[in-house]
Amino acid sequence: MLRQIVLLSLFLFSTGLYGILTRRSSVGLFIAIEMMINAAIINFVAFNRFLAPSHIDGQVMGIFAMALAAAEVLVGMAILVMLFRQRKNTDIQSMNSLKH
Amino acid sequence: MNIFLPELTVLATGLIVLIYDLFAIKKDNSKFSTYFSLLGLILAFVLVALGDSGQALGGRFAVEGIEPWFKLIFLGSSILTLTFTAETFTSKAQEKLNHPAEFHTMMLFSITGMMFLVSSRDLISLYVSLELATIPLFLLAAWTKNIRSGEGSLKYLLSGALASAILLYGFGLLYGLTGEMSLAQIGPKLTANPALWLAAGMVLAGVGFKLTLFPFHMWAPDTYESAPTSITAFLSVASKAAGLALFFQLYYRVFSTHTLSFQFIISLFAAATMTLGNVVAIKQKNIKRFMAYSAISQAGYLMMGFLGTSHESTASIIFYLLVYALTNLTAFAVIVHHTHNQDDESIEGLRGLSLSHPILALIFMIALFGLAGIPPLSGFVGKFFLFSVAAKSGYYWLVTIAALNSTVSLYYYLRIIRQMYIEPLNPQEHPMKSSGLFKMGLGIGVLGSVVCGLIPMIYEHIDTNTIEWLSTLHVLGMK
Repeated sequence: MLRQIVLLSLFLFSTGLYGILTRRSSVGLFIAIEMMINAAIINFVAFNRFLAPSHIDGQVMGIFAMALAAAEVLVGMAILVMLFRQRKNTDIQSMNSLKH
Repeated sequence: MNIFLPELTVLATGLIVLIYDLFAIKKDNSKFSTYFSLLGLILAFVLVALGDSGQALGGRFAVEGIEPWFKLIFLGSSILTLTFTAETFTSKAQEKLNHPAEFHTMMLFSITGMMFLVSSRDLISLYVSLELATIPLFLLAAWTKNIRSGEGSLKYLLSGALASAILLYGFGLLYGLTGEMSLAQIGPKLTANPALWLAAGMVLAGVGFKLTLFPFHMWAPDTYESAPTSITAFLSVASKAAGLALFFQLYYRVFSTHTLSFQFIISLFAAATMTLGNVVAIKQKNIKRFMAYSAISQAGYLMMGFLGTSHESTASIIFYLLVYALTNLTAFAVIVHHTHNQDDESIEGLRGLSLSHPILALIFMIALFGLAGIPPLSGFVGKFFLFSVAAKSGYYWLVTIAALNSTVSLYYYLRIIRQMYIEPLNPQEHPMKSSGLFKMGLGIGVLGSVVCGLIPMIYEHIDTNTIEWLSTLHVLGMK
């Protein structure tokens, strides 16, 4: 059972990574990062359940990681809204105003 | 309870500054928030300096040996940053900062996170404090609210969030391999297997982002260039110190039984980082972008300290971090002052500075020579210790590369000095007025960056604390 769950989390993580490399919209990037964090959380909870069931450390970490991911995306969205008001799009490929 | 006092002081100061602003009658209270934040930080600085070692929360929070040094570097660099940030709230430049109370609160929260980061002893508090240190910096980088600043901040945020997701996955693997959350208990239980190397690689990627190591440095030039200049200073010093603190925690505690397997890859990172930083810095035109690449190459030098197998290597990293913080902040104090008064971020904008402001130009020259590592200055002493650490471990090729890089770096630091001393005066230069607070911060910075190398007591003190600290750990091959 643990094997399947770890494979699921690996799949989620890889999908997230693929999304980051291919997505053009900033919102899409946030979703991809969220997927990667969730993959890590699944890992924590599964390892907790199957390998160290005497403590609930892994689940606590899962809750904290969820809250922190929400905080991170919140800040990201605030910055994105500010940018969107000025640029009228969220396409990251057009964000090249900082030159070498 | 006493152990928490410095962290709680910083946190409480941040909250008071924020709440005072909410109820303040006068709308422009940048003076209050600057001075009150400085007061809180100095109080915390004194508390850390006088504080004892000990543990709290069932061993999840501890202060031992070298942790006070890290906290002093965080607090000291934020004090210096605030001394030259104060005038950017009232300046007329394009990059004028608004909302001083929120600005200071964010900064104080970030410092609280960094201080907890050094002292945390399990994966949960390590990750939470890392995020507390990083998330406010995303906001601070976007503080000027224009397109460039937002773009730089978004790049910082996306790569930061990606790095922290990868780091979290690495932590998950470490937890899965051992079933433990406490850093001290993970270490002895780790055995060499492919999953461990995957976890180690992910952790290195997460740390490399904060330390701006070579393949993970992409965000740094853009963010440094577009962020408010005082935040660039804070990012290049305090945030880098936090990354180093994170790597200390993981390298000496979690991977303590496998440190020797890391050495080769660390030497590669160090060589690549310092070479890239130096080579790209040569052709930069924007002073902030230039300092970004200079900071990247300095991170490469810092990594050399991890190659050692004795207490001297650890001590030399902390000593160089201290020296780098003081020297870099001195350089940035002049840059902040100049860019805010002239509204010009190009290196050429500095031309003829020695004619109009001889003392400012002299201080900037001392700081740049310190970063390049010219003998009487402390930058030289710090670099000498780091290079000798690598040489003692037999990494002669790395020392050769580092010495060559130092020579290259002298060339581009001298480029700025040439602009200041040889070129004629910039005809568009506006008169610059400096406040007392700015002068004080600049004085402390330049004094520190000269004196640290001359007084042996500082290094000896760090060395004693390091021996004490290492004796509580069981690091393979460490004497």
